[in-house]
Amino acid sequence: MSSAPDLSADSRDRRIAASTPDMELLRHFEPVIRFTQGEQFFPMDVVRYVQACSLWAHYPTGRDELLVRQDDLTINSLIEPRAADFGTVHYLRFIENLSLTESADVLTRQLRLRRRLKNSFHPGLGRLARGGLLPRIVDALFSLSFLMRGRVPAASSAAAELDYFHIRAKRDSFTYYGRVVRQNHWTVLQYWFFYCYNNWRSGFGGVNDHESDWEMISVYLYEADEQFVPEWVAYASHDFHGDDLRRRWDDAGQLDLVDGHPVVYAGAGSHASYFLKGEYQAEVNLNLPAWLESARRIWNSFWTQVLGQRPADPFHIPFVEYARGDGMAIGAGHSRDWAPILIDASVPWISQYRGLWGLYARDPISGENAPAGPMYNRDGSPRNAWYDPLGFAGLDKVPPPPEVLRLLEKNCAEVTSRQESLKTLIPDKAGELQSLGIRLKSMEGNPHLAKQYAAMQRRMAALAEEVRGLRREHSENHAILESLTIRLERQRRGVREDARAHISHLAMPAATARRRFDRVGEAWAAISLSLLLFGIVGLLFLAPRYLGAGLAIITILFVVIESVLRRAFIQTVSELTALLAIIACVILVIHFWYWLIVGILLAVATFLLLQRLRELTG
Amino acid sequence: MQQRKKVWTKKRPIPVTIVAWGIVILFVVRLVQVFQPLIRMNVLEDGLGRPLTVGLRLTPLGSAVLTSAVYLLASLIGIVVLIGFLRVRHWAWVILMAWTGSSLAIGLIEYFYSHPNYLVMASNAVIALALNQVEVQRIFQIRIEQDEQRT
Repeated sequence: MSSAPDLSADSRDRRIAASTPDMELLRHFEPVIRFTQGEQFFPMDVVRYVQACSLWAHYPTGRDELLVRQDDLTINSLIEPRAADFGTVHYLRFIENLSLTESADVLTRQLRLRRRLKNSFHPGLGRLARGGLLPRIVDALFSLSFLMRGRVPAASSAAAELDYFHIRAKRDSFTYYGRVVRQNHWTVLQYWFFYCYNNWRSGFGGVNDHESDWEMISVYLYEADEQFVPEWVAYASHDFHGDDLRRRWDDAGQLDLVDGHPVVYAGAGSHASYFLKGEYQAEVNLNLPAWLESARRIWNSFWTQVLGQRPADPFHIPFVEYARGDGMAIGAGHSRDWAPILIDASVPWISQYRGLWGLYARDPISGENAPAGPMYNRDGSPRNAWYDPLGFAGLDKVPPPPEVLRLLEKNCAEVTSRQESLKTLIPDKAGELQSLGIRLKSMEGNPHLAKQYAAMQRRMAALAEEVRGLRREHSENHAILESLTIRLERQRRGVREDARAHISHLAMPAATARRRFDRVGEAWAAISLSLLLFGIVGLLFLAPRYLGAGLAIITILFVVIESVLRRAFIQTVSELTALLAIIACVILVIHFWYWLIVGILLAVATFLLLQRLRELTG
Repeated sequence: MQQRKKVWTKKRPIPVTIVAWGIVILFVVRLVQVFQPLIRMNVLEDGLGRPLTVGLRLTPLGSAVLTSAVYLLASLIGIVVLIGFLRVRHWAWVILMAWTGSSLAIGLIEYFYSHPNYLVMASNAVIALALNQVEVQRIFQIRIEQDEQRT
């Protein structure tokens, strides 16, 4: 108990009696969410959302069937058991199919609504200007892929925005679903947020749109002196997993608090949670075929290790997550308060509805398909964040601070005791080995003892291996004991470990210098790809005979212009020249392989000859 | 004097020497290219007695003289870059890299249009790879500059 950090003098001290009821506990540590200006969707209650939805089934044959119509669906009818074939996907539908005129109508009304609310988004520096020409080409291909993949229709976002506005107009409340879990001496407070729509792509130039969105954050408490003390906070994120998700409660540089409540900066449209406000470069890695992925890896290691160039991956597309925190805020210290609801696995809609909470867009890579509920993944399997909240944030291996000292002492005692026993065991075994050795030596030169000699030799080899193992263990234990003792001493003195030692990838907002790019550069980023394509068309019409040369010249020209605008001329020219040199080398090898082999053989022969002559002459 | 030479050798790693030799080879090639068209047109024996242009168009002699002049200019630039390079000047590395890049691009285009010059291509490839060595880039303060650009 004595190892609990003393936060009493700190404003971050948020101790609360361990006997506090769950709801009060949740309220005591509930987060503050700060949104970006222009955000249209906020956490809401699922009951009102379900009432505005219809329920559908998508069968493996490709057919979709309406199971319950809009207005007839309630949270109770949602969980009614529905038998279906393997591969059937049940899903809700918030926005019904819109005709062309309806689409035009909702888009106009959306524009009017935004003007009236004065809640529009300004991207600042465009995302395309943040990546090079190659990622821009890949991005264009990604955009074109929507023609083949399933996607949420363009006007759906506008219709969802209007519908959500009407829902809010009836009753403006902001809900979180709180859950309290006790595991391995930790008490985990999970806060689940439900949004009726994710408009990251259509609203903020992001990766995807989908109906409904579930987000979650967790606060990890431990018990000391009959009080709960907050130790960690974890925010679910697209690009990070395990240890990288959590920050320590006392890490003021990474975790903002308002009146002792953790602050979440929600990504615009995506609602992803961030610890610090800013603009994050979210890079989407394309799922490449295995052969292409290994070819990319081989090329990358050749590029970086042999040619000494900086690592580059053209197969990821830069997207921006705007988590500016300059828009609406909900929670302590702000005008809008939470309407919390306590949940656990016994709540029927949590455990009994395994379908999707919005449109199933038939997107094979799932980006545009709606998510499932807090307890399940899209395929109906249990969600890791629900059944293993400690493992989710990499805390399954971390004991709470009061347990650390006890476990360290236990470990030290165990290792010390083992060392003591090894101290007597090793000499005994070593003596036995020597005795065997003497006996074996005495048997040599006696052919009639050949059989016994071989058996004893095997026994001796096994014993020698055992002694070696015991000595290795003793030596390793010595080092382990040393590190355990040092840590134990530090713990006893109350020295806390580095709050970020567990993080291998720290999510940080893009630095200002990285975003430095003037208007010309941004305009170039927007038009360069189209200009390149126009150039190719021009070549096809005006000089088809010189298409190859023209294409090479235009591409190099574009890359050089790009590098000048990005203030990376030297780096780009260096990389480009290295690439051309590789191509030239390949051509030279193809044409002169015979002479190359002759040359290599001659060089090796001369080298060996010189070396041997040097040896001869001393 | 002897001591100065020692320092000079210490500062210049093998890739720099390779690049310097590459430039010398290219200089020799360009020098041959300066004289080739002039020899073909017998300028060295007959002199420049005949007209170089007819109206606005170049005569074969004019074309040969222009080609020689361009290659001579390239050779002279090569000498300036070589001096700058041996004196470990930042600008020399940048010009040489840009020059090598352009030369490689032209060489590859020529190759694909069936006019390959393998010696130039090989020299350029060697120069490009040598210039890209981390050690060389550090000496010419290229690495530092790139790192600063990134931060």
